[in-house]
Amino acid sequence: MGMVHVILCRCFGELDSALDLEGIRTRLEGHSDVASVDTAGSLCLPGDAAAVFSRVLERGAKKVLIGCCSPFGRGNVLRDELIRGGLASSDVVSVDLREGCAWIHGKDPAGAVKKAWNLLDMGLASLGRAGRSDNVTVRVQPRALVIGAGASGLSAAATLAGLGFETHLVERTAAPGGLLNLISRTYPTGESGPDKLKGFIGEMERNPLITFHSGTRVESVKGYGGDFKVRVVSSGEAKLIRAGAVIVATGARVLLPRGMMGYGSLKNVITQMEMERRFFTGKVDCTAAVLLQCAGARSPERPYCSTICCPLSLKNAKRVLKEVPGSRAYVLHRDIMTPGSVLEAYYREALRAGVQFIRFDPQKPPDILGEEMFKGVEVDDAVTGIRRKIDADLLVLSTPLIPDPENQKLAEILDLPVDRYGFFEETYPLHPVETRVDGIFICGAARWPVSSDQAIQQGETAAMKAAAFLSHEKIPALLQSPVPGGKAGHARADADFCTGCGNCTAVCPYGACRLQKMNGRSVSRVIKVRCKACGNCISVCPNGAMQIPERSDRAVGEMIRRAFREVC
Amino acid sequence: MSGADGNKTEGMAVLIVGGGVAGVAAALDLAAVGVRVHLVESGPVPGGRMAQLDKFYPTDHCAFCPLWTDIRRLREHPLIAVHSFSDVSSLEQKENGVRAVIRYRAPAIDPERCVACGRCVEVCGPAAIRPSGAHAYPPVYLLEREKCDRCGACTAVCPSAAIDLERHESSREITAHDVIWAPGFREADISAFREFGLGSHPDIMTALEFESWTAEAGGNKGRVVRRSNGAEPRNIAFVQCAGARDLRLLPHCSAVCCMHALKQAQWVRRRNPAVDCVIFYTDLRTVGRGYYEYALRDIQGSPVRLVRGRPSLIHPLPGGGGIAVKFEDTLTQKRLMWNFDMVVLNGNLENSIRQNALSREALPHLDGEGFITGRDGKASPPACGFAAGPADVTEAVIQAASAAARALRAKRS
Repeated sequence: MGMVHVILCRCFGELDSALDLEGIRTRLEGHSDVASVDTAGSLCLPGDAAAVFSRVLERGAKKVLIGCCSPFGRGNVLRDELIRGGLASSDVVSVDLREGCAWIHGKDPAGAVKKAWNLLDMGLASLGRAGRSDNVTVRVQPRALVIGAGASGLSAAATLAGLGFETHLVERTAAPGGLLNLISRTYPTGESGPDKLKGFIGEMERNPLITFHSGTRVESVKGYGGDFKVRVVSSGEAKLIRAGAVIVATGARVLLPRGMMGYGSLKNVITQMEMERRFFTGKVDCTAAVLLQCAGARSPERPYCSTICCPLSLKNAKRVLKEVPGSRAYVLHRDIMTPGSVLEAYYREALRAGVQFIRFDPQKPPDILGEEMFKGVEVDDAVTGIRRKIDADLLVLSTPLIPDPENQKLAEILDLPVDRYGFFEETYPLHPVETRVDGIFICGAARWPVSSDQAIQQGETAAMKAAAFLSHEKIPALLQSPVPGGKAGHARADADFCTGCGNCTAVCPYGACRLQKMNGRSVSRVIKVRCKACGNCISVCPNGAMQIPERSDRAVGEMIRRAFREVC
Repeated sequence: MSGADGNKTEGMAVLIVGGGVAGVAAALDLAAVGVRVHLVESGPVPGGRMAQLDKFYPTDHCAFCPLWTDIRRLREHPLIAVHSFSDVSSLEQKENGVRAVIRYRAPAIDPERCVACGRCVEVCGPAAIRPSGAHAYPPVYLLEREKCDRCGACTAVCPSAAIDLERHESSREITAHDVIWAPGFREADISAFREFGLGSHPDIMTALEFESWTAEAGGNKGRVVRRSNGAEPRNIAFVQCAGARDLRLLPHCSAVCCMHALKQAQWVRRRNPAVDCVIFYTDLRTVGRGYYEYALRDIQGSPVRLVRGRPSLIHPLPGGGGIAVKFEDTLTQKRLMWNFDMVVLNGNLENSIRQNALSREALPHLDGEGFITGRDGKASPPACGFAAGPADVTEAVIQAASAAARALRAKRS
């Protein structure tokens, strides 16, 4: 007699129309893998499933096969119910007999029965041969590490501390604040950058849960979600911080437009950041300012929109008009990027305030006039078709945010991907601060250009995700997965067969496969917590040394064989 | 939560109004730190607008698959109670939180018992029963009471006794420490603005109508055909800012429509390269990761034509001669009239918070454009997604976690 207890659900007769369930039941009872077969009228109704499940579990069932509806109907729910009842996730399989057999092959009962039988037979093969991964558990270090103390990093640290978590905030420069320190007024409220930072810096200094490490860089990171061992270095002195979660908030740089549009060769051609400095020191003495958008952005080298430059320009153009009576301000633009309600209203305000907007064709960029001194621009106004000459004495170039040059190195240390430009990349737009390494989150301009408000918001988001990690004392590695019910298992390298070729380390997207010295030779070792059971390593291992026990070659091979077995 | 200073969030409860992608994300984030959640969703299942999308920008993947995973986690989470077919009928601020009355519009077909066999549909004379939508998880059937003649044939054939025509509304009271608003958006009615032509011809439709009309899981199985005669269109006009960036109706920019139109036009071309697509835009707003590159496929490869201009008139031609679109191409200053087989209107999205039967006092404060904001310059109540301001999926889920964090911190301090 076999090990597997089978439960068939008739789904109120939905299966009977096409499937000869009694015949299948009789054949299953004679199957060498099967211990018992139960048929239920319906596992859907509250009580019915519980009764059948407890009957089967009382018999001492360790492995259960359910023949029911699709996993997207209730198949998965039923499976999960048995797992909650105490069975290992690898020991319960649900097979789709309704949507996949009875319904879709309703007109071909013989074909439907054959498919149903093959699916059940495959389920039995998997249950009979699949192994089980050890369920290692991570003891969570109850503290977070935030890298970068700009707007997003400060916000993340304040949020984490506000939720009760010890937080280490690491900043490579001497002081917190980042780029926001340099902004004289932020849009849309008009609050100054330093004022906006004040509350966060105050919180950082006041809250005993936050430890600030200035002049400090992250040198290496070992471990995994729940327990990272982070080596940080400050003026030659190294320290080890153990953290359950890491937040990357290293911000971005602003492109310096060397050699672009007269920058560096003409006087009074400046960047938006220099404009901010002039506002800080009160020295804005132009009579006409031209603000040129997309300087170095949405170009072949940088084909992306930097998000913040349009509203920033609107703000500064309005401010010139207000602070220098009688002055003129022109925004030379391609598309005005003010999505939403607040920014769109901000755009309308600028129009009302008298800022002049001139749209240009990127194929015909404005000509910059002047020798030594900026004198104005000549531009084809795309909307009127008229070439206009504008006399002006200040040209402000709106240059994009670009990735920090140190991102690449940090990405290697953290084993994180960056996009084609060098911004840190999330796993999926639906999970925008999560990364492929569990327990490491990204936020702010390190991720993608953002406004100060968005940076603060993303800091809170990353903190919330980190808090979810830190809220557990222990995390079972098998449950560390966004998929309900956890992951299938983790890969295991058989040291006897591993030749240390390194193929697996090259294809593992999660940094789970590492080469290690053992008895004088190199062998692969899998960090179970990092493994996501994707199977990449198995497919490239030339010796069959890599296996996921739940999906072993033996089990999968037998499943494939049975998929095509003729029904006797 | 086992923070350095103990389990302070344990035992807390938060009420989330709206079960779209933002509400679902906020619920999962809160439950992950041990907070109990009541999620109130007006429809039959959570998922909201994202679940109605056929495709998702900028990945071009199906929208509902990744969302389904989260909805499944939501339904199985022991700390989350999902109240479907429900809305908040009253909300009272209490000393230590809120007391809310949830109105449950009990459906005739109980989704917990329905096995989606479809027998009721076959016997229903007045065709009052239909599946809840191709992307509903798990699949359920809905009965429209207005169409039902109460013959009882469906109750007789239902194998799981899921149908009860006498089921009525009921209410339950819940208390929570805070509320997170995530009611999402709806399409504002622009039929009063005759120049858009909405309602004057079956082939003039809104972007969400077009999305389900052409959805792979929908009735046309991904084929692009005209609603008027089922024939393949020769060309389609996508009209942006229809009712939006317009002081007569919605002054705001709806933020999602440029990318949405680019996506729809590109998918039309993928499914039928013979269809000419034209997008009439004002500013092509593409500010997220990969968004401008997404648009560049059209700007450089020019399979989709981009025209900067707002049509001044969209009007069906007599005798089935298609739909005339009158516009000025502002970049060539030419006034033109082109003839289209289909017109898709994009942009008329507004906060749908007023769909909750709440009194003015119980509603969060709304700004002049109808979005949730703080009263008298105070911080906004926790809100996420479109209700707080036009946002796409990525922005909405960022806001969701941030709103969850703010709600928790406010209670702890």
